[in-house]
Amino acid sequence: MLSPSNTIGETGATLMVWTAVTLIATPFLWLSGDLLWYGWHQLSINFVVSVPQNAGREGGIGPILVSTGLIMTVCMAVAMPIGLGTALFLSEYTQNDQVSGRLIRGSLDVLAGVPSIVFGLFGNAFFCQLLGLGFSILSGGLTLACMVLPILIRTVEESFRAIAQDQRLSAAALGISQRATIQHILLPAAIPGVLVGCILGLGRAMAETAALIFTSGYVDRMPTSLMDSGRALSIHIYDLAMNVAGGNSNAYTTALVLIGLLLIINLSASWITKKWTTLNQLPS
Amino acid sequence: MNNIILGTLTSFRALLVFPLLCLYVLVFLPPAEADSGKLVITGSSTMAPLLLEIGKRFEATHPDIRIDVQAGGSSRGIADTIRGLADIGMASRTLTPEENHLHGTVVAHDGIGIILHVSNPLQELTNKQIRSIYSGETTNWQQVGGRDGPITVVNKAQGRSTLELFLQYFKLSNRDIHAHVVIGDNEQGIKTIAGNPNAIGYVSIGTAQYDASHGLPIRLLPLQQIPASLDTVRTGVFPLSRPLTLVTKSSPKGLTKSFIEFAQSSKVHDLILQQYFIPF
Repeated sequence: MLSPSNTIGETGATLMVWTAVTLIATPFLWLSGDLLWYGWHQLSINFVVSVPQNAGREGGIGPILVSTGLIMTVCMAVAMPIGLGTALFLSEYTQNDQVSGRLIRGSLDVLAGVPSIVFGLFGNAFFCQLLGLGFSILSGGLTLACMVLPILIRTVEESFRAIAQDQRLSAAALGISQRATIQHILLPAAIPGVLVGCILGLGRAMAETAALIFTSGYVDRMPTSLMDSGRALSIHIYDLAMNVAGGNSNAYTTALVLIGLLLIINLSASWITKKWTTLNQLPS
Repeated sequence: MNNIILGTLTSFRALLVFPLLCLYVLVFLPPAEADSGKLVITGSSTMAPLLLEIGKRFEATHPDIRIDVQAGGSSRGIADTIRGLADIGMASRTLTPEENHLHGTVVAHDGIGIILHVSNPLQELTNKQIRSIYSGETTNWQQVGGRDGPITVVNKAQGRSTLELFLQYFKLSNRDIHAHVVIGDNEQGIKTIAGNPNAIGYVSIGTAQYDASHGLPIRLLPLQQIPASLDTVRTGVFPLSRPLTLVTKSSPKGLTKSFIEFAQSSKVHDLILQQYFIPF
C-alpha cells in the first residue's frame, strides 16, 4: 500500500517524464509538420528528376540529387575500408593502455569535435589546391570522409569490443589464426555495429553544408565525372533559403527530400541489422 | 534462397569490395571536356545566382564550354583571381585603389537599403541617427522619435561588400559598430529582421523589395528623403548603391572576353531583372 506522499511522488515523476517526452517530441513534430505543410504540395517525380531553373526558384533538383549521391559514394568508399581497418587495429592489435592506441583515440576524439567549416577549409587547401583536384565531387567526398572517420571508427571499435572475450580465447585455443578469427568470427558478429557506424557517418555527411561549400562547390549542372563541381542537397537548401529571394518554397521541398532520404537510409539499416542478427542466431 | 542472397549481400567482403568497386567505376567515367573550355568564376554570393544563370545561357550557345560558378564573398573572388584559382572574380563593389592593377567590368547595379520591421512606426531616419544607432550611442527607439523598445542592430559579416559600402557611406569603421546580430547573406538578414520588431539592418534593395511584396513583415526606409526602390537606383538618384563587377587579372581575352561581353550585353537583361538587379 502506498502512502499519500508516495502517490504524489509517483504522479510527479510520471508528469516529469511525460513533460520531458513532450519537449523532445514537439520540435521534431513541429519541424516535420512545417516541412510537410510548405513542401509537400510541389513534391513530385518531376521535381525530383528535373533541372533547377532561375537560380533554383523553379525547376527541380535532379542534378543535385545525383551530385549528393556521388559525394556520399566517394565518402563511404574511402571512409569504410580505412575506418574498419583502424577500428580493428584499435580493438584487436593494441592493448587499451598502449601509447599508440591512446594517441590514435585521442586524436580521433579531437577530430570528432572539430567544427565542419574547419574540415571545409582544410579540404579546400589540401584536396582542391595542393592535390590539384579543384572544386570537385572527389574533393567534397574526400573531405567528408575525413570528417566522418572519427564517428565511424569509434562506433565500429565499440562493436568489436562488445564481442565477448571468450570467443577470441576459444578461437585461439582451437589454433585458429588471428586473421581467420577476425574474418570468420569477429567481423560477422560486428556487422550490425559497422552498419550503424556507417549510417551515423552517412547521416552526418548528408546534412553537411560548411565542409562542402568550399570543396564540392556551387555548380548545379548534372555532373559527368567525379572531377566536376557538384552542389549537394544541403548547400542547395542553404542557398535557396539564405541567398535567393523567393527560393523558400523550393528550399522546403528539397529539405523534405533530404529528410525522406535520411529516413529511408535509417530504416533500411535497422532492417538489415535485424535480418542479420536473426540469420546469425538461427542458421537454416 | 532469400537467406542466401541476403547473406551474400551483407557478407563483410561485399561490404568492403562493393564501395571500392563503385569508386573505381566512377573514377573511370568519361572525363569532362578539356580544361581550355572551362571558365571558373568565384566570389560574391549576391552575384553567384545571377552568374549561374548567365553561365547556363552562355553554355546553351557554346556547347563545348563549361562555366563553373562558386560562391564565397567578394574578397574571396578577388583573392582567387589574383592567385589564379579563378578566371573571373565576382565583386559586388567598386575596386579599391590597391586593387587597381585588376581589370573590372560592371555588369549590373544593386542598391543597399535600410530595413525595419513593418510594425516599427518610424518613417524616416537621418544619416546621423543611423550612424549613432550603429555606433551604439542610441540604444532605444524612443531616442530617435520611435516607440519604447531596445534597438537590435543587425550587421553584415566581415568580407561582405555590403558591409564595406555601408561603412564607407556612413563614415564608420567596423570596430565602432556595436552589433547584436552578425549575418552573412541578404535573405538571412531579412529573415532576422522579419522575426524581430525592434531590429534594424541593411540589405540589397532588390531582395528586400521582392520579400516585402511577398508578405514578409519588413519595410525599406528612404535615405536622405529618397525612397529606396529599384527605380531610384536605376536612375542613379539613390545615394547608396553598388556596381556588380566582374574582375580579371589583366584585360580579358579569348573565352573570358567573350563571356564578359556576353554578360554585359542586352541578351542577359531579363536574367539580371529576374535576380532583382538593374542592368548596366
